[in-house]
Amino acid sequence: MTAMTTTPPHTGGFDLAAIRAQFPILSETVHGRPLVFLDSAASAQKPEAVISAMAETMRHQYANIHRGLHWMSERTTEAYENARDLIAGFLNAPSRNEIIFTRNSTEAINLVAHSFGSMLKPGQAVLISEMEHHANLIPWQMLRDRAGIELRVAPITDAGDIDLPALEALLADGKVALVAITHMSNVLGTITPARQIADMAHAAGALVLFDGSQAVVHHRTDVQALGADFYTFTGHKLYGPTGIGVLWARQALLEDMPPFLGGGDMISTVTFEKATWAHVPHKFEAGTPAIVEAIGLGAAVSWVDAIGFEAIAAHEQALTTHALARLAEVPGLVVTGNPACRGGVVSFTMADVHPHDIATLLDRNGIAVRAGHHCAEPLMRRLGLSATARASFGIYTSKDEIDTLADTLVRIRDFFV
Amino acid sequence: MDEALYDRLIVTRARKPLHAAPLANPDVSGEGKNPLCGDRTRLDIRLDGPHIAQISHHTRGCAICAATADLMAERLAGCSIEQADALSHRFSALLRDGADRPRTQAGLPELGALQALAPVRAHKARIRCAELPWIALKEALSHVRN
Repeated sequence: MTAMTTTPPHTGGFDLAAIRAQFPILSETVHGRPLVFLDSAASAQKPEAVISAMAETMRHQYANIHRGLHWMSERTTEAYENARDLIAGFLNAPSRNEIIFTRNSTEAINLVAHSFGSMLKPGQAVLISEMEHHANLIPWQMLRDRAGIELRVAPITDAGDIDLPALEALLADGKVALVAITHMSNVLGTITPARQIADMAHAAGALVLFDGSQAVVHHRTDVQALGADFYTFTGHKLYGPTGIGVLWARQALLEDMPPFLGGGDMISTVTFEKATWAHVPHKFEAGTPAIVEAIGLGAAVSWVDAIGFEAIAAHEQALTTHALARLAEVPGLVVTGNPACRGGVVSFTMADVHPHDIATLLDRNGIAVRAGHHCAEPLMRRLGLSATARASFGIYTSKDEIDTLADTLVRIRDFFV
Repeated sequence: MDEALYDRLIVTRARKPLHAAPLANPDVSGEGKNPLCGDRTRLDIRLDGPHIAQISHHTRGCAICAATADLMAERLAGCSIEQADALSHRFSALLRDGADRPRTQAGLPELGALQALAPVRAHKARIRCAELPWIALKEALSHVRN
């Protein structure tokens, strides 16, 4: 690894101090020390733009949406639907009707597993990978058990990349109806070659879903350029609120798919005998949605777009390079995986110090990291680990914070050994 | 570092356990697993009539879990099953209630070196780590009763 002095500068047009100043929580202290928040991959902190968009909605312009005939309802409907427009632009979706609001990425994947999954027949298969979060594993296991389909698992390499030849071999018999793969691993940081996977899937007659929960945060996502058929992400990792996520799918697919949940807002006409469905996207948004949260996510997307992914990606790439260099200097520390393309997530273990003890001792120094299996137990088993510690970086992370992490890890190691 | 939580005894016993050597022909065994983190403790117990003669543990876990298992094995040697139950309750009270309560704890055996785990009480997310060996103990002793 290169030393920190050789990492490229990344400050052109990116004012880290100004960005940090927009996150009120970053001025908090924990155990008497400045908060060093390195757990953004679990959930990111919120900028003032998001906080105030949500608070202003509730203070000044709030009512239930879509059916109200009064001013407040119309204004709130506009704001909610404007968020859909913003997210369609964010993903470069061909149509705003392809944006379905869900609770989170987990619910978006469950929507696909239930709705698209109900159209699959025994003999067909869904193909995932060894590095999936439980959110992109359990819904498919449940579909397998419900519908009698096959669930296939593409292996990863020891470096932590998808084994593409093995994935292609698993597609060869033409039985795979859907390839569901993460766009970025929450454990290894691996950014998967989505376009290549989409092309392989399509060549074998399969559709492709990308779990973009981690990926959308770190670089520009263009669902058309990726060749995706389904794409999911969650709001709270993208500096937005909890309780709001997104499913994007091609409109023709959404029109063919049956509804997921039934209730208000998703119907066209209803009698006691039967109901007909609203057009997409409303067919998939039963009940009063997370209105304020959708508006908050719209604000988050606008805020991120204003900074620009070129600057964000450069900043986070520099942080990751710096982190890998500094962590390599910590005695006994082993970084998990060495993928070809890594986003701002670094998992690690330390000889003689359990990840939970690392996390507790870092916390006592004001540093927030995550420790455990990161909702990816099969991946942990594949790696021969029961748990790792994980530092993850966001738009507001500084090199100083990574230095604090590395220096504190050295002291933790000294304490235990 | 956080001396308050990680007493030197905890660090020492986690690194160099005194009661982790395999026990041949145990009378009963039990296992505790924490599905949240994958940690696990297995206990093998040799009995001498109604008393615990010796406990050996095999722990894959954090320092809190491993040290608790080792100190528990040490403390319970020579105890009756009833005394082991009483110590389990007393340890639980130490983590959950914080302090020994004379009214409820009167007559119960002393925790001894296990008192070193008292600061875990302030770390709610870590209480399960210290409880894992006791879950394994409960399972093992249930075989005695059966």
